[in-house]
Amino acid sequence: MTAQANYAQPPRAAIWLVNQFASGEAAESILGDLLEEFFHLTSKSGAAFAGRWFWRQSLKTVAQLAVAGFRAAPWSTAAAVAGGFLLDRFLHSMPDKALSAVTDRYLLFWSSHFQAYLWLLNGMVFLHLASSLLIGCMVALTAKGRELIATLTLVLVFCAMMSAAFFWIAMHRPVDIPWMLWSCADPFAIVAGGAIVRTRRSAATSLTSAA
Amino acid sequence: MSARDYLGEFEHVIVLALLRLDDQAYGVTVRQEIELRTKREVSIGAVYATLDRLETKGYVKSRRGDPTPERGGRSKRFFRVTAKGVAAVNRTHRALQSLVEGLDLGLARSYS
Repeated sequence: MTAQANYAQPPRAAIWLVNQFASGEAAESILGDLLEEFFHLTSKSGAAFAGRWFWRQSLKTVAQLAVAGFRAAPWSTAAAVAGGFLLDRFLHSMPDKALSAVTDRYLLFWSSHFQAYLWLLNGMVFLHLASSLLIGCMVALTAKGRELIATLTLVLVFCAMMSAAFFWIAMHRPVDIPWMLWSCADPFAIVAGGAIVRTRRSAATSLTSAA
Repeated sequence: MSARDYLGEFEHVIVLALLRLDDQAYGVTVRQEIELRTKREVSIGAVYATLDRLETKGYVKSRRGDPTPERGGRSKRFFRVTAKGVAAVNRTHRALQSLVEGLDLGLARSYS
């Protein structure tokens, strides 16, 4: 390795991404191969070229690992996704129902406590996000070893449903761009939940193998 | 596993690369050998996904090498083709040859 190759660092985010999709032993050999070629390319063609190559290879590898992971256990992954979908339907309707129950009961007082009503409405939005994060964690816990594959599949299902809903709304009502953008936060929260569980599991596995 | 199982296109390419590389076959060398011979860019993920599938079918076996500093302290995973894998390659070749037999590919009619 040349001096340049010694100082060059592969993109950490790309390494993290590969680690999210590859299991312990597979991650070791895949990342080892990627690093070996990265250092070779750095000394041959420069750090910028090697960095771009590393990103391209990592993204393609993640796509391959996701497909292979789903094919390896399609039923258990699909069951985790279906469970997550049902949990989402159940959890997401709860804050709305609770708020409706409260407003129906104390409707007379809302005119004098309008600020509290607004505060509750904003709080609901964050409750939705928290429940999405929880759903992501639950799906990831169920799909052991395929945490990100399961959560991403669930997100794809929701994205397809959201796209259809956005299209219908755009055809019938004026488009509310901020509301549409805010609706996209839920899928991110689901994936974040999956990534949290995956990272915790990877750390626990590394500690066990180190001991 | 049926005795009539044939290798898929990329499985075929991978097994041939392993046979060419002999005891030096691991992710990097397999990927580079395929790129060199077929002029086709392949990802390390595609190589490993196929190798894992071949290992499940019993066509290849893998073993761990020692960790090396140029790999960030990570070990290599070496692969070799099993007798069952060689039989699968031969079977696939025979099937392809029987399909090609009698065809004059140089004079094949083009619809373009």
